[in-house]
Amino acid sequence: MYPSPFHLVRYGVLNAVADFKATYTWRSWSFGWLGRMLAQVLFFTGLGGMLDHPGAVRYLALGNALMTCVVDTMAVVATTSGERRAGTLSLLVASPADPMWVFAGRSLHWPVSGFATASVALFGLGPFFGVTWAAAQVPLVLLLIALTALGTYCVGLFLAVLVINVPRLRNVVSNCAYLAMMGFCGVQVPVDFWPRAVGAVVQAVPLTHTLRALRAVSDNRPAAEVFGPVVPAVLTAGCWLLAAVVIFRWLVAVPARGAGTLDLSY
Amino acid sequence: MSLFMAALRFQLRLAAHSPGTLQVWATAPLFTAVFLSIAEHADRTDLTSFAVVAPTLMGQWALALGIAGELIAEERSQGTLEAVIATPGRLSVIVVGRILAVSLLGVTTMAEAWLVAGVGFGRWIAVPHPVVLAAALLANAAAMAGTASIMASLFVLMPSARIVQNTLTYPLYLLCGVLVPLSQLPAWVRPLGRVVFLSWSADLFRAALDEAAVSRPAGRIAVVALLGLSGYLIGALLLARVLRRVRRLGTLTHT
Repeated sequence: MYPSPFHLVRYGVLNAVADFKATYTWRSWSFGWLGRMLAQVLFFTGLGGMLDHPGAVRYLALGNALMTCVVDTMAVVATTSGERRAGTLSLLVASPADPMWVFAGRSLHWPVSGFATASVALFGLGPFFGVTWAAAQVPLVLLLIALTALGTYCVGLFLAVLVINVPRLRNVVSNCAYLAMMGFCGVQVPVDFWPRAVGAVVQAVPLTHTLRALRAVSDNRPAAEVFGPVVPAVLTAGCWLLAAVVIFRWLVAVPARGAGTLDLSY
Repeated sequence: MSLFMAALRFQLRLAAHSPGTLQVWATAPLFTAVFLSIAEHADRTDLTSFAVVAPTLMGQWALALGIAGELIAEERSQGTLEAVIATPGRLSVIVVGRILAVSLLGVTTMAEAWLVAGVGFGRWIAVPHPVVLAAALLANAAAMAGTASIMASLFVLMPSARIVQNTLTYPLYLLCGVLVPLSQLPAWVRPLGRVVFLSWSADLFRAALDEAAVSRPAGRIAVVALLGLSGYLIGALLLARVLRRVRRLGTLTHT
């Protein structure tokens, strides 16, 4: 009997935990990675201090704090394409199990790390820049961080599948993707600052919606403005995941099986 | 000198096709757009030059740090490290020559950022002090190579070079006033930033793009060059010590 999707994701998660332990110790994560990400928040928020624009510092602090979980999570692009480098991609494709379930689990350490990073940034750094939270808001904020991380994970999986045949581009693609999100999804300036076409395109990105919801929570706006964006965030995340599955199955795995080239195009 | 030039030419050939260079070329316009959007949204068009200077320095430093981290590891994985070390040529000269190549290549990001400001935002930035800018760009590239060479030697001993590479980006950009000048940071931070050449380079680049006369340009460029030279000397010393150690332990190909 083949392993169920649940078991495949579970094995993937075990792999992710081992991968994370091989990359970081608690010390190198806390003082290295987390320190670097908090410095990134301060870097962008610092520009707000020069602007003499009311609310700019708070706006930038909140957007860039949530952005840290996006940066962290986009590492899924690199680890997924790492399967080819490790020589395991052909085995995954050859096995009767669906490799997409393996991919779905094997990089989950990144959204978890991103969740932790953004939580520290929002609750630890945010108050220094006017981003404060009431106790009742905390669960909602945590939920929105988790949704951002998981939504971005789906976007990342889609991009990972796209570059699986050109792994040299994995870092270029993931960096450009998160910078584009940082620029156009409302992290630094409101979405309506950009031309309408850009505003329309970024509606397909989960971050655009979760960030709008988080700003609504922060500004104590009505529940409809908080929960309204959650629906498109979940829907868009689902669409990215579906697109990743379809592209991997029909545009990567099937042609590669036929041509026998999975290990040759690195 | 011929060894230095050979290393520089070799790296230029490699770098033109490397994913690291492509990444910097691809991300510089996005960084510029991000910084410019923040300034434009607040009607602070006077900060346009800041949005051009920061991506330039960030791109150059990312390239320099990237090659410093990968240089030794790549030689090791290709099995050429022992041969390189066995030759009478000084490894520190090769290292600094190769890093200088990518630092010089990174200057192109300033042109990219300038074009994004002009084409994308209609802010064509004048260069009132081209000689100062050119001299500062050259001194900065040299200083970057010298400073990043310190990392190359540390990376021989460290298995987790990637974490160090990541860690030495934003904290350093922040501390050195790459985007927000040191004068805007808390007073206690400024002396720390002044020890690193990046802070002097950032101020010089911004001054060269400003209408006002640049004060003491020669002295400030000399400081950039001197800090870079100190970096090179520290890097060469460290590399010699590290090589002595791995030779003694017989771990050149294992560390």
